[in-house]
Amino acid sequence: MSVLATRPEPAAAATTRRRPVLRGVEGQELVLIGVLAVTWVALSLATDTFLTGGNLRNIVFSVAPVALIGIGMTAVIVTAGIDVSVGSQVAVVIVVVGKLVRDAGVPLLPALAVALVLGGVLGTVNGLLVSYGRIHPIIVTFGTLNVYRFVSLQIFGNEQVSGVPGTFAVLGGGQRGQLLGIPAAFLLAVVLGALMWCYMRFWPTGRHLYAVGGDPLAARLAGVSVRRRVVSAYVLTGVCAGLATCVLIGSGGLVQQNAGAGLELAVIAAVVIGGTSIVGGRGTVLGTLLGALLVGTITSAVTLLGWSSQLTNLFIGVFILIAVGADLLRERRRRSR
Amino acid sequence: MDGSGPGGQGDVLLRATGVEKRYGGVRALRGVDFEVRAGEVHALVGENGAGKSTLIKIVSGAETADGGTVTVAGTALEPGSTQAAMAAGIATVYQEPHLFGELDVAENVFLGRELRHGGRVDRRAQRARVVELLEQIGLDPAIADVRVADLPVAEQQLVSIAKAFAHSARVLVLDEPSAILTDREIEILFAVVRRLRAAGMGVVYISHRLDELAQITDRVTVMRDGLVVAGEPTASLTVRRIAELMVGHAVGGRGRRQRAVDGEEVLAVRGLGRGERFRGLDLTVRAGEVVALYGLVGSGTSDIARALYGITPATDGVVAVDGRQVRLRSPRAAAAAGITLLPGNRKAQGVFGDKSIAFNISSAHLGFLSRSGWFDARREREVAEHYISEIAIKAPGPDTLVGNLSGGNAQKVVLARQLVEKPRVLVMEEPTQGVDVGAKEEIHRLVLELAAAGSAVLVISTDLAEVLELADRVVVVRRGSVVREFAAGATQADVLAAAAGDAGTTPGGTAADPTSAPTSAPTGAGGTP
Repeated sequence: MSVLATRPEPAAAATTRRRPVLRGVEGQELVLIGVLAVTWVALSLATDTFLTGGNLRNIVFSVAPVALIGIGMTAVIVTAGIDVSVGSQVAVVIVVVGKLVRDAGVPLLPALAVALVLGGVLGTVNGLLVSYGRIHPIIVTFGTLNVYRFVSLQIFGNEQVSGVPGTFAVLGGGQRGQLLGIPAAFLLAVVLGALMWCYMRFWPTGRHLYAVGGDPLAARLAGVSVRRRVVSAYVLTGVCAGLATCVLIGSGGLVQQNAGAGLELAVIAAVVIGGTSIVGGRGTVLGTLLGALLVGTITSAVTLLGWSSQLTNLFIGVFILIAVGADLLRERRRRSR
Repeated sequence: MDGSGPGGQGDVLLRATGVEKRYGGVRALRGVDFEVRAGEVHALVGENGAGKSTLIKIVSGAETADGGTVTVAGTALEPGSTQAAMAAGIATVYQEPHLFGELDVAENVFLGRELRHGGRVDRRAQRARVVELLEQIGLDPAIADVRVADLPVAEQQLVSIAKAFAHSARVLVLDEPSAILTDREIEILFAVVRRLRAAGMGVVYISHRLDELAQITDRVTVMRDGLVVAGEPTASLTVRRIAELMVGHAVGGRGRRQRAVDGEEVLAVRGLGRGERFRGLDLTVRAGEVVALYGLVGSGTSDIARALYGITPATDGVVAVDGRQVRLRSPRAAAAAGITLLPGNRKAQGVFGDKSIAFNISSAHLGFLSRSGWFDARREREVAEHYISEIAIKAPGPDTLVGNLSGGNAQKVVLARQLVEKPRVLVMEEPTQGVDVGAKEEIHRLVLELAAAGSAVLVISTDLAEVLELADRVVVVRRGSVVREFAAGATQADVLAAAAGDAGTTPGGTAADPTSAPTSAPTGAGGTP
């Protein structure tokens, strides 16, 4: 993997007051684009199967749920929070919506609305506990991770939900879920990601997310409604989890009790690899989408190359450490001046 | 109390009348009157605890007064609301700039009041406005796009002033703006302040560096013990006179009586320096002697402390203990060299809050408290109990968690830790910061007893009364260099004037005021056996 030798960050920007090369694209994002390009070229040369329509479709489809939730998670982590309950949120939504479409035959749009609203409610609970309860986000969401999992298991009632109809097939991995040959779920993630990127970059309330994560007290003194911004980030994450759930049940069939288990780690990995600082105040959705793509690419590559799938964990782990290390180095360099 | 209104041609912009504030039993403000006129720079000076920052917090809405009124241009200000104060045109720039590192300068200036264009942040308009502002202030307009985290602290501070400027503030409060700036940066700051004054703004300028006041301020208000003791045109005051007003007349000789210290030289520092922070520091401390290093905030004394502790090692000079040269590269190295440290900022550096008193005292002496390799828990308790009674730590017993103690008592625990094995050299930074009066006296008594028992003690403090109470010699540091040395019995006004930059002070020479020495006896300071 020659990519690992790539510098985590260009040596630019030490003391020079330069404007970004590409407006709005940050250093770490350029690096990620480079790493992705190198990996893809290397894989197309090394295997016959990588650069095929089917495989690329597989990769981007499998990335979609992580990317979708990552959009909300980026906002949460930028406010110096974290949401580890997203996997359990998915579990609650998947069993409720799965049973609705199977037992009550609810059509696509109402079912979608239920998924989004239910996800939003679960996110609101997190947001209110974090901002008004003044409990550390990791504790709050670790608590709700278990509570939501319990709730979903109660609704499952000791059995998996089988025979779910293909109501969400337009978001699924099959033929019907494609638009111009591209999985619609991935396109959805890209469109929503672009909207969110604009929001966090151009809208006052979006910029305030960075202020809240950077220095909450100063943000309050500057007239930012800190609590409202924090709650909004968790609500958005819940809505995104609801949407990601629709993608997960898109192909119909079986919904299992362990749905969404461990998903939070994949999402946080994508966000962190994408350059969002875990202490808040910095990060972009573009980075998160690239991070999700990189994780998906690695997973696919390890399979295609016939390597042990355990290596996937190793590579993702190494990328997280490089990303966090680059973040720390940058901070230290600033401090030392 | 106000003298003749000096540059008082402008209208009164800000007026505080009879402002009172209590914190628990402490009367921080006892009926303070204060006013700022348009087009004047008004200095607010006083010792730590005189009430300056409380007054500023009330004026800027961060605190609510218990009595009195604040009006801005004749309109009463809603108390306890920073929003209301800002809306009325009061902008406060604190010493530490509150900015957002990941946002660029233009965004920081407009944060919370963004210029909008169809709902979006109008970056172009914001940028144009900020470039204009930066040009007015004399900063490089190109930094409008630079992330604040990439700017030096000094420029960050000027950015916060630009921010106040952008929101059409009428009164600008600068809380010790120069403490963290270099001389060149201070010049830029002054140019900005003069421009604001010319534009008809009222500026409140808080500073400990009294030599600056003549350069930049029109009027000086001196506070002491929660009262305004003087308000006069700057031109009619000297640094020396301001220093006297700050410390009051009653305190002529609280200092120690001079006594001969003839122990051998234990700590010797030659030419110690670190970059621009401090340089050329020469210092000796003899066995049985207490030497105080006194300087205002930002003078470099805390950097010297950090160098002696090995936290941020010095780059130049040598340190010797008992004639043996030592390299203080880490706190561990300092300890190995025989230097015992009592760091400032106890909450963060000194204690294990969730551990017992006994644990905290014994933690530095595990070898000392062990017998043939086994830790002796009973002796740990005995030692802890001994110090609880010896220095009157107010706690039920050795098992009490230090986190549950008051600041003063936690401080005593940290001090006790340093006393278990009698230190050869004890370096203390702000030993009584945030400690009540009773605890302060106990700690002072202990320090003097230690010295009497033969330790060499170096006290680094910004507390003038403490310095004079403890020290056999006071070494005054200003802008990173030693400017003067006083023998015991110097007056507060002398020492303060030297530290604050009285041009009249000649370097070197001891200036013990002989008339004050005899009155200094009954302060519990005569700690010789």
